[in-house]
Amino acid sequence: MATVDKAIRSAPLHSENAWQLAWRRLRRHRLAMVSLVVLVLLILMAIFAPYIAPHDPTAQPRGAGLRAMYFQAPSATHLLGTDDLGRDVLSRLIYGSRVSLLVGFLAAFSSVMVGTVLGALAGYFSGRPLRFYVGPLAREAGAWRGSFAVWRVLSWGLYYGALYMVATVAWTLSEDAVRIGVAGEWTTNNILSAVGLVGTWLAVAWAAWRGVTARFRLDVDIVISRLIDFMLTLPGLPILLVLSAILRDPRSPVGNWMYAVFGNAQSVVIIVLILVIFGWITTARLVRGSILSLREREFTTAAESLGASQGSIVFKHLVPNAAAPIIVEGTLQVGIAILVEAALSFLGFGIQPPVSTWGNMLTNAQTYIFFAPWLAFPPGIMIVITVLSINFLGDGLRDALDPHRRQT
Amino acid sequence: MFTYIVRRLSQMLPLLFFASVAIFSLVALQPGDPLDALRMANPTMTQEQFEALRRGHGLDQPIYVRYFRWLGRAVQGDMGRSRTYGVPAAQFIFQERLPRTLILTITSLTIALLVAIPVGIFSAVRQYSAGDYAVTFFSFVGLSTPNFFLGILLMYLFVIYLPETFGFRALPAGGIPNLMLSDLETGRVTLGEYLRQWATYLVLPVFTLATGSMASWTRFMRASMLEVLNQDYVRTARSKGLNERKVLYKHALRNGLIPIVTLVGLSMPSLFNGALITETIFSYPGMGRAIFDALVNKDFNVAMAALIFIAILVVFFNLVADVMYAVVDPRIRYD
Repeated sequence: MATVDKAIRSAPLHSENAWQLAWRRLRRHRLAMVSLVVLVLLILMAIFAPYIAPHDPTAQPRGAGLRAMYFQAPSATHLLGTDDLGRDVLSRLIYGSRVSLLVGFLAAFSSVMVGTVLGALAGYFSGRPLRFYVGPLAREAGAWRGSFAVWRVLSWGLYYGALYMVATVAWTLSEDAVRIGVAGEWTTNNILSAVGLVGTWLAVAWAAWRGVTARFRLDVDIVISRLIDFMLTLPGLPILLVLSAILRDPRSPVGNWMYAVFGNAQSVVIIVLILVIFGWITTARLVRGSILSLREREFTTAAESLGASQGSIVFKHLVPNAAAPIIVEGTLQVGIAILVEAALSFLGFGIQPPVSTWGNMLTNAQTYIFFAPWLAFPPGIMIVITVLSINFLGDGLRDALDPHRRQT
Repeated sequence: MFTYIVRRLSQMLPLLFFASVAIFSLVALQPGDPLDALRMANPTMTQEQFEALRRGHGLDQPIYVRYFRWLGRAVQGDMGRSRTYGVPAAQFIFQERLPRTLILTITSLTIALLVAIPVGIFSAVRQYSAGDYAVTFFSFVGLSTPNFFLGILLMYLFVIYLPETFGFRALPAGGIPNLMLSDLETGRVTLGEYLRQWATYLVLPVFTLATGSMASWTRFMRASMLEVLNQDYVRTARSKGLNERKVLYKHALRNGLIPIVTLVGLSMPSLFNGALITETIFSYPGMGRAIFDALVNKDFNVAMAALIFIAILVVFFNLVADVMYAVVDPRIRYD
């Protein structure tokens, strides 16, 4: 009796909220807590890299006896040895954590943001097509109200611009054949080209006429789902390599612009950008699924009947209720981003030397593995430790945030 | 089911069209002219000659004209010539490189499944045992190890460390055996010798490629079995007195395997991505390596042939995965 009394008295007066509960559950997950500590240490290492690193990570030795300074085996002055240019491996490793972690967190955060917004829109507006195009002379109530008025005018430009492009492309493709045909030489190929040209132009003319009074509604869900199908068709890694090459090319307008705007941070921005291009998909599918079921719940109906705007329903009522899986997904995405960045840098399409990342340190390590094997292990081990910690933390968070899941 | 397949097939064509547009534009927009190498090799070439050569290759045309010209030839089976090797790109990719990559990927896939399924079952049946914790831990390690690092690690272990320390020299550092199928036909090598040589060259790349899938499928298999083992029909089977073996392999396993079917179908893209890295590390002349080299050397036709083929393969296996899912699980109906 006395112990029960004591228990009641020592219990907190107000119950803990969901986050406190999750934190308490997470603290019981031993591997997740160890991983959290490791991650914090890694982040501290990245932040204080200049104070920890024993040498300048890009400094190359000069003067006499150069040969002896390259490929030094681990020693007291160079704890992990030196690389093919005589640079200190430990310092490069410590500085490398900056880029790897920065890219990992930035890419994961941006991917999850983009994925959440697109997934939430797809989920909430699934089966509720939105007004997309209202022609210049079409009648529709409210078509001049609010921000839709701006979009309405813009969409005319897009619609007629697209038609103009189709007409021009058809002309460029068939020009030669049709000219020869008109000159009197009607081969099968020339006739087919002419028929194709006339057919396309007639279709364009018809679409232009219809567009004046037409009204289209568009299901955002279908658009986003098709976009996801399309993205999944593309061969991921080769496309990432090509994108990275295009965005980094200083001779192209895009590459030039990237360099002008972001300066030396340009290579990090490019990597983050291309990681987001493929990274948002998993989050979007996840959020779409959650929102589809959440929007049928009573609290959504309540918010709707109280007159909440669609934006506030989606982002204030629905998305916060899907926060748990989003947080878990975000954590796992950090690991994926670090792995992909390392793979790209390893293949020479990521962050470029002399800036060191764990990935590009391995590029050279493979070349020299036969006589300088100490170059290969440290960066690889750092990648494994970091990604492993992130995965354990994500697993712990999944258990901690989901009240229905039993503890593992 | 039939109408479902027809509908899916009809959706595949526009999907592949857009994918080919995207792949073509990206590959064509790559920095550097495909003819730059030629120009470097011939410093006496004048600007006019260079321009004429570009016109000859159709490189002066806008990108969409080049796309439709490429598409027109591609649908007739003409994928153009490789600029690096001088042979038709289709022949190079499909006859020379693809079979090697298929040997690599299919072996990896089989080994990954052969390990993942029993280990996943073990881990689920002995949930929370020391063995289960070990399996979970190692599958997390497998998921967190980039395959390029694993490849380098294996190479160091089997090509440098073991030979130097124990004189174990069975495994080569990379490449493929210097053997042709014709050697087998003419009797220069026996079948056993032929297979043995291939096996030694395949061990390291296959293990490198298989580890990632193995780790992730083990986790899936464990989760899937755990879910099935908590179902009512498993309890029913146990309560009517069936022995545990029968419950496990006849009632639980058959249902627990269903998600794996989809998973294997959907893992095609990651297998090919993995093959690209694995083949690069082990200098294995397969399709992944061919894609990488083609992108670096601006060998446009080879890159397009290979990438489009992968896109078709991915779309096809997505469909196969969905259809197989309905075949193995009668509860799923597509209408």
